[in-house]
Amino acid sequence: MAAVMGDPGLSKLQFAPFSSALDVGFWHELTQKKLNEYRLDEAPKDIKGYYYNGDSAGLPARLTLEFSSFDMNAPPPARCCPAVGTLYNTNTLEAFKAADKKLLLEQAANEIWESIRSGAALDHPVLLNKFLLLTFADLKKYHFYYWFCSPALCLPESIPLIRGPVDLDQRFSPQQIQALERAYDDLCQTEGVPALPYFLIKYDENMVLISLVKHYSDFFQGQRTKITIGVYDPCNLAQYPGWPLRNFLVLAAHRWSSSFQSVEVLCFRDRTLQGVRDVTHSIIFEVKLPEMAFSPDCPKAVGWEKNQKGGMGPRMVNLSECMDPKRLAESSVDLNLKLMCWRLVPTLDLDKVVSVKCLLLGAGTLGCNVARTLMGWGVRHITFVDNAKISYSNPVRQPLYEFEDCLAGGKPKALAAADRLQKIFPGVNARGFNMSIPMPGHPVNFSSVTLEQARRDVERLEQLVEGHDVVFLLMDTRESRWLPAVIAASKRKLVINAALGFDTFVVMRHGLKKPKQQGAGDLCPSHPVAPADLLGPSLFANIPGYKLGCYFCNDVVAPGDSTRDRTLDQQCTVSRPGLAMIAGALAVELMVSVLQHPEGGYAIASSSDDRMNEPPTSLGLVPHQIRGFLSRFDNVLPVSLAFDKCTACSSKVLDQYEREGFNFLVKVFNSSHSFLEDLTGLTLLHQETQAAEIWDMSDDETV
Amino acid sequence: MEEDEFFGEETFQHYCAEFIKHSQKIGDGWEWRTSKDCSDGYMCKTQFQIKNRTAVSHRGTSARVQTCLPMEEALEPPLDDFEVTETTTATEVIKYEYHVLYSCSYQVPVLYFRASFLDGSPLALKDIWEGVHECYKTRLLHGPWDTITQQEHPILGQPFFVLHPCKTNEFMTPVLKNSQKFNRNVNYITSWLSMVGPAVGLNLPLSYARAAFQDEGNVDRQDSSIEPKSLEEL
Repeated sequence: MAAVMGDPGLSKLQFAPFSSALDVGFWHELTQKKLNEYRLDEAPKDIKGYYYNGDSAGLPARLTLEFSSFDMNAPPPARCCPAVGTLYNTNTLEAFKAADKKLLLEQAANEIWESIRSGAALDHPVLLNKFLLLTFADLKKYHFYYWFCSPALCLPESIPLIRGPVDLDQRFSPQQIQALERAYDDLCQTEGVPALPYFLIKYDENMVLISLVKHYSDFFQGQRTKITIGVYDPCNLAQYPGWPLRNFLVLAAHRWSSSFQSVEVLCFRDRTLQGVRDVTHSIIFEVKLPEMAFSPDCPKAVGWEKNQKGGMGPRMVNLSECMDPKRLAESSVDLNLKLMCWRLVPTLDLDKVVSVKCLLLGAGTLGCNVARTLMGWGVRHITFVDNAKISYSNPVRQPLYEFEDCLAGGKPKALAAADRLQKIFPGVNARGFNMSIPMPGHPVNFSSVTLEQARRDVERLEQLVEGHDVVFLLMDTRESRWLPAVIAASKRKLVINAALGFDTFVVMRHGLKKPKQQGAGDLCPSHPVAPADLLGPSLFANIPGYKLGCYFCNDVVAPGDSTRDRTLDQQCTVSRPGLAMIAGALAVELMVSVLQHPEGGYAIASSSDDRMNEPPTSLGLVPHQIRGFLSRFDNVLPVSLAFDKCTACSSKVLDQYEREGFNFLVKVFNSSHSFLEDLTGLTLLHQETQAAEIWDMSDDETV
Repeated sequence: MEEDEFFGEETFQHYCAEFIKHSQKIGDGWEWRTSKDCSDGYMCKTQFQIKNRTAVSHRGTSARVQTCLPMEEALEPPLDDFEVTETTTATEVIKYEYHVLYSCSYQVPVLYFRASFLDGSPLALKDIWEGVHECYKTRLLHGPWDTITQQEHPILGQPFFVLHPCKTNEFMTPVLKNSQKFNRNVNYITSWLSMVGPAVGLNLPLSYARAAFQDEGNVDRQDSSIEPKSLEEL
């Protein structure tokens, strides 16, 4: 710029373009308008924006559009200057690309030119501040394509600088500056506007006068060769005026070049910092007015904004993060969970919970409640298995179903539950398998068809157990828990089991067998030898996870057909309605506590006695079982050892299963109690002792 | 401040009005906005920050990469001698928006905020915090600043980050008690905002505290010995 200062006569004036600033609120409002009002209407729409001359140094001149841009009556923000625009919102990306930008620009330029020629721009200088916005809103992806244009008429020749730009305080005395501020403020107040985009100035050493553009003939009376004009200038550059001056200079040239040779321009910049107003960084310079008083044709125009690469092209902004409801739901859910970490449980390892893959066997009252609690913890991978259909009695107790789901025979529960989870939270990966789980004492050998079906069901279940980290046993019969208990024990998966009586429940984690390659050695890799095994104050203190029992360990009868020879009220568990919610919630919370323990499923079982001790995890105790008694509103935390004659998790059963696979299972399915009892030695035990009548912790419901 | 036990909406609006009055005096841009559909309003401020484009974290830049369409135009750039060619592409402007609303359920003011680039694309919370001064960052983990959630702005219907108001009463009560003890007049909004604001990049000039003093005609107490050193002493 030294050239400008040194050799002003030869230098030409240049202008800093606007940067479009499209507030996210603008995109929100455009979305609303498109959906509710414009729909397929592509007709141009009036919108408005504003710009500001009070920015701190370094900020680019911006033309801002925000949510209020569609409300033509909304006042611009304090001390800001309005700009009027036209929105061209296309229905397709193709139409957006094909839009004739040259024509749009020419039309806008013509309107500006007409307002200059007719004098309308003198009365309403805001007509010079026109802009165009071409948009295409891809509302499926929340991608917004746009191209912004602030049309500027080009003067036929370059504008020679007579005096290069200097800061205002180099030209004006402090008194003059003060007088300028006062005169500007007074005129704004008289006019009732937040800012004056363009104005006329007269000054000498003692005073500064400001006038609206429309009063130019009176105001300039007596001026001889030079006039002074003011422009509200959004630009911050010390050597250049901003874009709005361009069209005003065209107006000046058209109106006044026959009477005056030169024009002095004040680019008015007005910022307040820490309570101190400052306009001294305004710039002032003088240019020769080009001759264009008599040209009737609209000059050529420029103004399409360059893209971020500096080329002539549109831009695209991806707002899915803040507009796609699915993305919003995900980030909100995550943020809510993180709150728990930040404040309450700083050591909580949320990733362990969120990333766990849960297999829910049973999609009834327990399954529904377990799934909802898992969702609350941010668990993203939930799979249901159930063979039942939704019946009319279900929705009131099973919170994933509605009346409509029961119609026409009812939807399959597993599929409906998975669908509903996706509806509740699209970020979840939920699947449902409508299938039966073969059970001991429920023969599968009626035909080759039933046998093949059983083989496929077993295979599928084995795959599902393999593909998940935690298996929830939430079925309505005892014997249906047997096969998954065996498979999960064999595959060393954490099993969480929940079962309901009328007003009692049990929620437990199955003992997790030591890793297979570990052999028979007593050392569990992650667990130190627990001397308390031998020395503990009670038999059930300090039992490590691998020694804990499973659901079947306390039984001295093998599972069989428990629905046979029962009346309906016995088959279909009637339980107090709150029970499934309590037990379902406890089942998930137990899983979460286990996952937070450094040893996971191998963690020593906490008992009721540990309630006063230092808890083993940031969330507290890691019990083996929670048995609840709703009549007394009481829970206890019993611990029990794995039983070497257990019909599900004893080594005799697991060995047979691992050796013979389906052939072994078929024998179990097809035979009565005695087969498993013989295998495990229970028969012998029965003979030795008088088997007491077993109180069967009964199950969910339905037949 | 006798009514500090009950911070009603009218009190809120009154303090906001006082606050804005001072803001207009010092020109730091706070204003009151109302929605055309309802009588509720909010106090808001926008501020800008310039960052080197390279300094903006990965999300910002990666989103930026794809913003140019492969339709580099046939529109021949008309030779425009009048346009300044030196551009500011090396910098990225970030817009911070702060909105103060009244929470009817908690009966306290609530701070909503968000940050975005000039095309409207949002900054993640992590990126916002990158702009926060180091000394406040440690506080984020235990102060009342840890209760940030994402919510829809009740008036604008757009997602904002929110400093959840559930702790506001807890940390404001001692502040108000203290000022009562010394018979000082404080503007609730000023004290509260000076505590919660810095953690999300919003700083208040000290003059707000002095303004609260003066407004109540405490001129006789105005010797420099009792001038607050920092707003948080209030």
